[in-house]
Amino acid sequence: MPENLEPKKIEFKKIDGSSFGYFALVAILALLTAAGIAAYALDRMYHLSGLSNRVPWGVVNAGIPYFIGLSAGSLIVSALAGVFKIKRFKVFSRIAAFFAAAYIVAAISSIVFDIGKLYHFANAIVYFNPTSIFSWNAFFYSSYFVICALYLLAQFEEMERLTRFFACLAVFWAVLVHSGTGAIYSFMYSRELYHSALTPPMFIVCAITSGLGLLIATLYFTFKFTKRDLEIRLLRELGLIFAGLTAVLGYMLAVEGLEKGYIPAVAPATKFVYLNPYHGIFWSFWLLVIFGIIIPFLIVVYPRTGFDPRFLSLAGILHAAMVMAERFFLIVPGQVYPSEYLPGYEIESLHTLEGYIVSYTPTIFEWLQVIGLLSGAFLAFVVAAKLLPIIPEKAVVVEE
Amino acid sequence: MISRRRFLVLVGASAAMAMLPLQISAKSIGSEAKNEAKRRWAMVADIEKCTECMRELIKKTGNEEVKPPCVVACDRENNVPEFEEKEIDPQWMRIVKFKNKFGEEFYVPLLCNHCENPPCAQVCLTQATFKRSDGIVEVDMHRCIGCRYCMIACPYGSRSYNFKDPREGLREVNPKVPMRTKGVVEKCTFCVHRVDEAIANGREPEPACVEACRKYGKNSLVFGNVNDPNSGISRILKESIVIQLRPELGTDPHVYYLPKR
Repeated sequence: MPENLEPKKIEFKKIDGSSFGYFALVAILALLTAAGIAAYALDRMYHLSGLSNRVPWGVVNAGIPYFIGLSAGSLIVSALAGVFKIKRFKVFSRIAAFFAAAYIVAAISSIVFDIGKLYHFANAIVYFNPTSIFSWNAFFYSSYFVICALYLLAQFEEMERLTRFFACLAVFWAVLVHSGTGAIYSFMYSRELYHSALTPPMFIVCAITSGLGLLIATLYFTFKFTKRDLEIRLLRELGLIFAGLTAVLGYMLAVEGLEKGYIPAVAPATKFVYLNPYHGIFWSFWLLVIFGIIIPFLIVVYPRTGFDPRFLSLAGILHAAMVMAERFFLIVPGQVYPSEYLPGYEIESLHTLEGYIVSYTPTIFEWLQVIGLLSGAFLAFVVAAKLLPIIPEKAVVVEE
Repeated sequence: MISRRRFLVLVGASAAMAMLPLQISAKSIGSEAKNEAKRRWAMVADIEKCTECMRELIKKTGNEEVKPPCVVACDRENNVPEFEEKEIDPQWMRIVKFKNKFGEEFYVPLLCNHCENPPCAQVCLTQATFKRSDGIVEVDMHRCIGCRYCMIACPYGSRSYNFKDPREGLREVNPKVPMRTKGVVEKCTFCVHRVDEAIANGREPEPACVEACRKYGKNSLVFGNVNDPNSGISRILKESIVIQLRPELGTDPHVYYLPKR
């Protein structure tokens, strides 16, 4: 990389945060977060979710891998400066590291929202089960948060070498955490549509793309809102990494789908999942492919839109939103489609819904919980921008 | 410099060493680990008798979803609640109809298989689900955090989550069985309270469903200790070909089905 692309000295500065717009933003985000918490409380009291004994995991559960993904992706971007010594990305490293920490809190909150007995939660630590992947992840998530926090702290103190150490450790931990999250689902050998060794690596790719996508949009709007300079070339570079990995994600999805469809035993289930437009699963997959992968990819590579920060942000937001559909697609089909208990025989249960294709439609109360957690992460960022020096004064490339 | 002779000896030795583990592993395949405990509980259901019973009951009542005596007894014994909505209604024991493409149809009861390698216990975050030395897989509801991972892991759909307080769906309560709360997972326990009580009093244990089946005159369900070669269940398993559900997963379920003859 040419030397002249490196910025001279980065000044991180707190924002004023006294404008009407700032307080309006805080109010809106706080309201959404509160709505999420209220939806959680109501759901616990009156069972307002679409979950059932056949589909015990829904969109709130999907929020766990979703937020972990955003966190891991954000962190890897932040570490570009530290680990790979790409100095010009250092301007983003604090924002990205902050979001990594905020999203992991949102992910842990998703678990909190999802489990049925919150006041038993400490049992996961007291009675740690070494054969449970989820048990390991509970440990990974909490330690990952600590590492993110220390990494951020080292940056605030401007301790170069320590920052680099924590950046490396955090990237390693992010990969570990995210592979582990993929394994929660994909090691479930009892469900053919879950079981796949490709899922953990796919989770890593998906994490980077969704984390990066949302970060591009966040950066654009943050710099616009705070009226600070942002060099389009930096955003464009992030966009190219984003587009490349989006294509890798599409490739992995194709390999997985084709392999499953090739096995006669799983083919009917695969056909139902990919080719039956009368079920929401079909739409979750194809909307992801079209609006989450193809369109964002084209936006970035097409020269007329690929250099426009507004279009890059659009691509990022589209993809990040559709990754939620990817999580839905990962978790729900394996539960909706009935398992075969005895080879060659169809089942019809007289007293339960076993043997039937069941429906799962997430209710507004479930969506509010996910939206509430996402708003919570952004609320934390907006407040932190005022209290902590995380946004650089300007992110420009110095030409000499 | 290495001499030719030394080289040949080395090559020969490494070839021999490469062959050795192959032969050992070929011999060791097939030796399955057996539960060495004094007792290992299991159940056999006779598909022919169950189908006969269900056909009679459906004909008599005209209700396609009639609950046979075993299911009714299980519900009552274990305080399994009854809710209108099938999606969230917990059911420890249930009857399913199996049918193949040739038009063959039969009815069997489904319950927790009390696997030798239970996936539910494998994935449980808090070891709330565990396997006792006698093979019974139990849920400790005081430890369960209600994450429902075990429901995802169970290959047999045997687990139910309490979306509502079970007491709302109960007309009477059996005080001998602990009442579960809202927000935890529950399932068949092989009537563990009856098993423990019978063993303590030196009697042969009999779960509620088996007792109901016997009293109804069908004698389709047989419960017993497979580690006792003289038990009734051991004799059946020795003399007949039995079916396990999804055996390819390696869970080694301990509810066996006697096929139609």
